Amino acid sequence: MKNTSHQNKTNQIPKQANRSRKDVWYKLDLSAIVYPTLQRRDFSSVYRLSVVLKEAIDPALLQQALDKVLPRFPTYKVAIRKGLFWRYLEPNNRPGPYVKEDIKNPCMPMHFKGNNRYLIRVYYYGCRIALEAHHSLGDGTGGMCLLQTLTAAYLGLSGHPVKPEGFVLDIHTEPDPEELEDAYMRYANAQVCPPRPAEKTYRVRGTKEPFYTLNIIDGILSVKEVMSVARKYNASLTEYLNSVLLYALLQKQSNDFHIRLKPVRIAMPVNLRRFFPSKTLRNFITMVYPFVDPRLGEYTFEEIVRHVHNYMRYYINEKFLRGDITTNASTQRNPFIRVVPLFIKDFVVRTFYTKVQDKNSSAGLTNMGALHVPEDMKPYIERFDIYMGQPFSSRTNCAIISFEDILTVNFASSIVEADVERYFFRKLVQDGIHVKIESNRNLDMM
Amino acid sequence: MSYCVNCGVELEASLKNCPLCHTPVINPNELNKKLPPSPYPTAKGQVEVVKRKDLGILISVVLTATSVTCLLLNLLVFNSHLWSLVVIGSCLCLFVFSFPAIFYSKTPIYLSLLADGVSVAVYLFLITFLTDSDIWFWQLGLPVIIILTVYAESFPLLSRFFPATVLSCALYLFIEIPAFCVALELLIRRITNHPYQITWSAVVLTVCVIIDFALITILAKKRLRNEVRRRLHF
Repeated sequence: MKNTSHQNKTNQIPKQANRSRKDVWYKLDLSAIVYPTLQRRDFSSVYRLSVVLKEAIDPALLQQALDKVLPRFPTYKVAIRKGLFWRYLEPNNRPGPYVKEDIKNPCMPMHFKGNNRYLIRVYYYGCRIALEAHHSLGDGTGGMCLLQTLTAAYLGLSGHPVKPEGFVLDIHTEPDPEELEDAYMRYANAQVCPPRPAEKTYRVRGTKEPFYTLNIIDGILSVKEVMSVARKYNASLTEYLNSVLLYALLQKQSNDFHIRLKPVRIAMPVNLRRFFPSKTLRNFITMVYPFVDPRLGEYTFEEIVRHVHNYMRYYINEKFLRGDITTNASTQRNPFIRVVPLFIKDFVVRTFYTKVQDKNSSAGLTNMGALHVPEDMKPYIERFDIYMGQPFSSRTNCAIISFEDILTVNFASSIVEADVERYFFRKLVQDGIHVKIESNRNLDMM
Repeated sequence: MSYCVNCGVELEASLKNCPLCHTPVINPNELNKKLPPSPYPTAKGQVEVVKRKDLGILISVVLTATSVTCLLLNLLVFNSHLWSLVVIGSCLCLFVFSFPAIFYSKTPIYLSLLADGVSVAVYLFLITFLTDSDIWFWQLGLPVIIILTVYAESFPLLSRFFPATVLSCALYLFIEIPAFCVALELLIRRITNHPYQITWSAVVLTVCVIIDFALITILAKKRLRNEVRRRLHF
């Protein structure tokens, strides 16, 4: 029954696309509902994707490319509005967004009424094009589609045409209705709602940086080197890097002052498109939480890797993920919750997130995986970077992306101390991996 | 190409220290070599200030309409007392309070606090038209507002010259609270024709002085200060 009702909903999308622009609006998807609720004066759920080209960026051409590309992404050319019960997205035809020279403090808060109500920002600096998007519009995959299509259009304007393929969409075609769908609802049909993990975990403590400072430390590694080390531990690249982060957090916890040890848990988004076919450019991720509990005894690194490996194999599969989506969707589907006014929902969600969800993990780690770009584009691209953005509380977020043989590990945090990053990269060096570090930290002040 | 001697990582050419452990990067062969520019921008971005024009118009219209309709109702229908002055005064206060947040966010803090104090004084003055005597306003209401306005003004002033940390703000607060209580008690005694002496405010004064000494000690000792910061960080 649920499938049929969903099919009816998706069938309505083309009709909606044919309506006049004024009538078009989009419901926030299941994940996107939470992000605007967490909005504070000094915090927005903004992530950043950037591409480093091999030649300096021409801002005028980039603006032209952006103006050409954005209409192809209707769910990114939007403004967010408040309804009585839910927020929603409506097409934004105001001028902009305008490309700007990059700044030292990326992922700064994005006020919904600022920037002509656009929820994306595009920056350039040297050879880099950076896209910042509010998470309520879409996840990293959607953002990457926009960034790669923008880069392809930019290269096209600078005399290097790129054939649409993979993440690069054809800007001359109408958007596929599936690109605009809330894919969660299509697959939230398990017959049981598994409970969410809810245990207080170790939280990194540190000195807060001044208002919206984002400290970045990038590690540049070789994919081949990391893969060969991961293979030695019989793990995949993600499992190995997850284990290194858990190891770093365990070290940080044991070296810091503590009364009793707490479990160390990582919040890791999983791209659901791998398991549930969908072309959606909106959010389609769910969280898994690999963890190690030091209260059970001291873990060697090999044991951590084995534990993470088994955890991933057990939880990251179609069945468990479907259950997880269903649990998340059940709240939104509940008719009693639906009729509660938005300001009460905001209060409850914010309280739940602050008191439970945020305390559920010690750090965040996302792996966009190996990026593929069209063959015509490859010669012009040096590397990609991804930042999970400013963490909600004082902790570190780690994002990983690879292109050809370059793997970048990007840490972003709002605290002065870089202990987790230090333990992380030192472990990689101990394992024989060559690490090159770049950072925006102002070290003269220290 | 430089490596951190502690961490073993290669450092990007523009870095003077290792970002992981802060160890300085010294290459004896390249002491006078100029460092290349950082791959990161140096200009800091500012969050765009959002104009709340619509909300400003809405608030102005609602407050003006409320004041005018109440005044007319008072003059034409329920005209036994000048009760509309209370409504008009509160609308004025709301407008002045919301002015820096909604209409002009660049209003200097000293000016907006002064305006807040003046609006409350005007409000109380309007209430005197509803009471038999205005002595309470001149002898108690106005002095209390003046004291509170001066205290409120002193907060941003102090934070300009001294560090505006949570602990120092707590110190200012615990200095101002007993001073206010003493002044309030003396004013009450004056209006009630009692001899000038402090009783209940002396208790507040004593408690606050103890807290002040504790705060001054914590602020003076770096070790204590860090300990408190660590324990109470949020």
